Amino acid sequence: MSKVTRRVATDVGGTFTDLVSFESSDEGMKIITAKTDTTPPNFEQGVLNVLEKGGVQPEDVDFMAHGTTVVINALTERKGVTVGLITTEGFRDTLEIARGNRPDFFNLHYEKPLPFVPRHLRAELPGRMTYLGQERTPQDLSGLKEILDYFRSQHVQAIAVSLLHAYANTSHESDLVGAIRDEWPEVSVVASHQITREWREYERSNTTVLSAYVQPVAAKYLNNLDEALREQGLKQSPYIMQSNCGVDSLQATSAVPITMVESGPASGFWGAAELGKMIGEPNILALDIGGTTAKCSLIEGGEVRIMTDYWIERSRKSAGYPIMVPVVDLVEIGNGGGSIAWVDDFGKLHVGPQSAGALPGPAAYGKGGTDATTTDANLLLGRINKDFFCGGAIDADMQSAETSLTQVGEKLGVSAVDAARGIVRIANNNMINALKLVSLNRGHDTRDFTLLAFGGGGSMHAVALAEELQMKKVIVPAAASVFSAFGMMMSDLRRDYFFTQLADLTEGAATVIEGVFAEAETQALETFSAEGVQASSISFIRYGKFRYQNQEHTTEVLLEGTVTDAVLDGIAEDFRVTYEKEYTYRLDAPVEMVGIHLVARAEVGKLVIEPAPLGSEDATPAVKATRSVDYALQGIHEAVIYNGELLTPGMRFTGPAIIEDTGSTTVVHPENHVHVDAYRNLHITLEASS
Amino acid sequence: MSTDQITLEIIQNSLQAAADEMFAAMRKTAMSSIIYEVLDMGTGITDATGRIASSGAGIPAFIGVLDKSVQYIVQKFGDDIQAGDVFITNDPWHGGVTHLNDLVLAMPVFSNGQLIAWAANIAHNSDVGGMAPGSLSGEATEIFQEGLRLPAVKLIREGVTDQAVMDIITTNSRMPDFLKGDVWAAIASVRIGAKRLEALSQKYGNSVFTAAIDNFMEFGEATAKAEIKKLPKGCFELSEEQDDGRIFNIKVTINDEEFIVDLRDNPDQDAGPTNTSRDGTIVCAQMVFKSLTDPNTPANDGSFRPLKVLTREGSVFHAQEPAAIGFYFETEVRVYDLIWRCLAPHIKERLPAGHFSSICGTFIGGTHPETGRQYTIIEPQIGGWGAWDGRDGNPCIFSGFHGETYNTPAEISEARNGLFVDRMELNTAPGGEGEYMGGRGLILEYRIRTKNGFLTAGYTRSKIKPWSLEGGEEGSGNFVEVIKTDGTTETYSFVSGLSLTTDDVVRVITSSGAGYGDPKKRDPEAIKTDIQNGLLTEERAKEIYY
Repeated sequence: MSKVTRRVATDVGGTFTDLVSFESSDEGMKIITAKTDTTPPNFEQGVLNVLEKGGVQPEDVDFMAHGTTVVINALTERKGVTVGLITTEGFRDTLEIARGNRPDFFNLHYEKPLPFVPRHLRAELPGRMTYLGQERTPQDLSGLKEILDYFRSQHVQAIAVSLLHAYANTSHESDLVGAIRDEWPEVSVVASHQITREWREYERSNTTVLSAYVQPVAAKYLNNLDEALREQGLKQSPYIMQSNCGVDSLQATSAVPITMVESGPASGFWGAAELGKMIGEPNILALDIGGTTAKCSLIEGGEVRIMTDYWIERSRKSAGYPIMVPVVDLVEIGNGGGSIAWVDDFGKLHVGPQSAGALPGPAAYGKGGTDATTTDANLLLGRINKDFFCGGAIDADMQSAETSLTQVGEKLGVSAVDAARGIVRIANNNMINALKLVSLNRGHDTRDFTLLAFGGGGSMHAVALAEELQMKKVIVPAAASVFSAFGMMMSDLRRDYFFTQLADLTEGAATVIEGVFAEAETQALETFSAEGVQASSISFIRYGKFRYQNQEHTTEVLLEGTVTDAVLDGIAEDFRVTYEKEYTYRLDAPVEMVGIHLVARAEVGKLVIEPAPLGSEDATPAVKATRSVDYALQGIHEAVIYNGELLTPGMRFTGPAIIEDTGSTTVVHPENHVHVDAYRNLHITLEASS
Repeated sequence: MSTDQITLEIIQNSLQAAADEMFAAMRKTAMSSIIYEVLDMGTGITDATGRIASSGAGIPAFIGVLDKSVQYIVQKFGDDIQAGDVFITNDPWHGGVTHLNDLVLAMPVFSNGQLIAWAANIAHNSDVGGMAPGSLSGEATEIFQEGLRLPAVKLIREGVTDQAVMDIITTNSRMPDFLKGDVWAAIASVRIGAKRLEALSQKYGNSVFTAAIDNFMEFGEATAKAEIKKLPKGCFELSEEQDDGRIFNIKVTINDEEFIVDLRDNPDQDAGPTNTSRDGTIVCAQMVFKSLTDPNTPANDGSFRPLKVLTREGSVFHAQEPAAIGFYFETEVRVYDLIWRCLAPHIKERLPAGHFSSICGTFIGGTHPETGRQYTIIEPQIGGWGAWDGRDGNPCIFSGFHGETYNTPAEISEARNGLFVDRMELNTAPGGEGEYMGGRGLILEYRIRTKNGFLTAGYTRSKIKPWSLEGGEEGSGNFVEVIKTDGTTETYSFVSGLSLTTDDVVRVITSSGAGYGDPKKRDPEAIKTDIQNGLLTEERAKEIYY
């Protein structure tokens, strides 16, 4: 018998805990998926439950990746700990002043978001660095003891340290952290430079405070998980999914858990990039539609884009809170399967951002929901099979669905069916605008991209969206509904380092640029080495962040090879080309570097999937039935219904069709061609647009 | 033809998305911090005749500007408007609205040969010539001293840049590279908008596209009219003394159909630069009107239809050519606050107590000690907002004139400008107490690091403080101090071209918002929390609250 390698990913969501397990051996690959309830507050129990349900023994597992929403939940539900902040003299109020913006500018009752640390727990210490990283005034720690005594009296559980210009020189912060540890060893403490080396003191301070706020909660969670799995025989601690599309060690994540904040969407988009590489589609517009929101991200040349401009709770109505950690570049809108359709006082139809959630859920759940949702509209139009609702797990309450849609229709003066069509069109348009933001808005032509749709609702809307954006192809991955777990399994150990460093691209700049890369690379190597990762398995990707002199916003350019003064002109030209592509013009102004972005990765035995041989093209063995489906603007058609589980590599067919899986429904429009590839992904070609 | 409501809504949503996209493009490419950081700019889409259809984020005071500019261009150029043209204006008597620093760019959008819309933007440029660096001087007495006047001309003809115009504009600036970069950012922005609008009209057809815009405006008008019906009816009047001793008068009449702002009984235009154009005054009335009637949806032409504004030509609110208008914004924010204050006692549920209500425009220049280059700070300040029934006011946000505007981080300011930011903190000076307390203002200290620096500032609500409601306390007032190395302190509200040298400290102090309600009724727990947070001293608490 051949050696079996088991790779397992578990994903703890708000409602369900998911499992995907791949067992590979010479005899092929076995995939197991399972789902159980999430078990707050003892989340590790849910993980053990789902492993048991899937028949996976922890002692047999070679590699385990784990994703969790614990950080984002602790933030949005305000369930972190009491934090004390120590900052530079004169700047205790930075956290409360924030940036002063009023996004909801006609609203005179706007409410500025409250800081996570009240003023009396924000303390100051003398000492200053300059923007060049030179010491202007030495740090004076004589007041520290008094500050810590006060923090203790106020039951502070975590301390955030954020000093001015610490991105340029970390020594004051390091000294202060050392002094706090000497004085109060058991308190949780984190300094801004441990999280980011970029300038902007409000963003950096807020990031540090939010990390401190969730640290004890997240560390306890991860520790409990690790202990429980180890007790059951797991040999190596699980790797933890991060917002930058990589996994990181459990220890590193426990120290700075804020990097997990958007790990859920990140794993799906990473899966999209990796799948694209497997099937020869390097340029992908990835779309993840869940119950409450839709998220999208653009992948070019197989690379996801990672940025540090991430905010929570930010909208047209609120300034929100910045989190300056590496997060996959995504746009999220409040449009999912459970989004509620509503008509305002002036007869205009809207969809979302309010969601019916899991309870009561769409009206068709029959759990007391009376609001019409996108799902109800899709049911009434025959796009979702009322007899196979949620994979047959729920009897669709069509009476309630129709009643809710009739109510929407009455307010609009149209029938329930027209209301349903309107809901689908408005929802699609909201998603189109989100997709444009990550593509056309950044100078990318959607016709050069393939739409990859996943999540429970992605494949329902994908073809309509692709048509509107004149895209030629849609891909629906196998097991689209557990695609995030697939992405986790494909992840490398990855860390993204962003350092602010100004440099004019003139003689001598190469030394400065190489210097800052060397600092970042040394830090990366030390961190990996402490975790037992061989230096030889580590690879780096270098980006510079450039702009025309005097501008503020930067454009990232890939830097290949060692930077010498001889290549500076070439780098400037690369910047001008990239800039012109995005913004339509070029200037003869000088180019300057503002910082670097270093990606450090090491493979941790990620999954390799072998293609299966292609079989017959005949798809009739998978046909379940036919039924009448309303394609909104394209009219009503008799569509062939396929059972997704019976589709095998090589099969081909033509729309109008519907493909039903337990977790998702794929809507194929008339004249679309579908074929099933060697990994059982669906390729839908849109003939109408070519 | 009849078009279904859903298609109209999809077009309307797409107009909003296009205006937002124009805004994002401009923000990311601009050269001047006043544009990319402060976001002293706006983007908008008008119909073919120049009626505003949709606007991007940015500042509310710019939303009502672009339609007036486009209308002027349409009237001036008539048939001579071609695809690929880009127009530029900045002069209040030629389609500009504000002051000469604000360049408006507008691009016509054609679909199948028909003019269907305009994409336009406005942004504050750092220097457009004139008698003083930054083009703004308190000493100016005519507009000719405030920079180059662009009387609505073509900058680009059918896609080809008119190099002569570009050269004239850049040559007249003390900061030609910044100006060029900012103008190109504005061009990129209108081009992106025009491209999106053309695609939209191609997809749905010109008549449907136009119908969607009309429908959107009717919706705006219906919303405004429905809300007017809920406002108290009658004639409301107010006289208010200003910091300089002048008296401003206002009369607001609200009936079932109309909202009339009468500003005719006001002083003659000023000899200095604190005048505003009639269009500028209308914009202020539009802002208050929008906040009162429908703060939640984007503004368009229809939103403002029930509003009438009466002014007297030759007055400070309706200046005649060639009045200086550089500091128009301080007069605009006064008229905005005047309308607000006039109505607040009668509509307390919609209007909080007074806020710091000044742009607190602060201009500091000099030489960067490390790079040797000239730097110029041009920034509005943040301050405290007034309380309302049930909630304390917001600390440190931008005035009602600005909106999606960002302050400059100390770390960036120190690198870019080569000065030190010694502190940036809440102003805890007494003021603004009440059952609900006004939000705190700001203390911001700049330490100058080289010789030959200068300070220009224009703050109002310095002597006449932010006004309270229902027995709350007034706000603390806005001013700026200059602390010399010998320890002497000078205090200003208006100052022009004051010399600064190494180690001088410019201390910006902005007001708290005003309080709402009798301080004696404040929740004792809230008073305790204020004291714990150092926002209130025990002594002041005894004086005010007990």
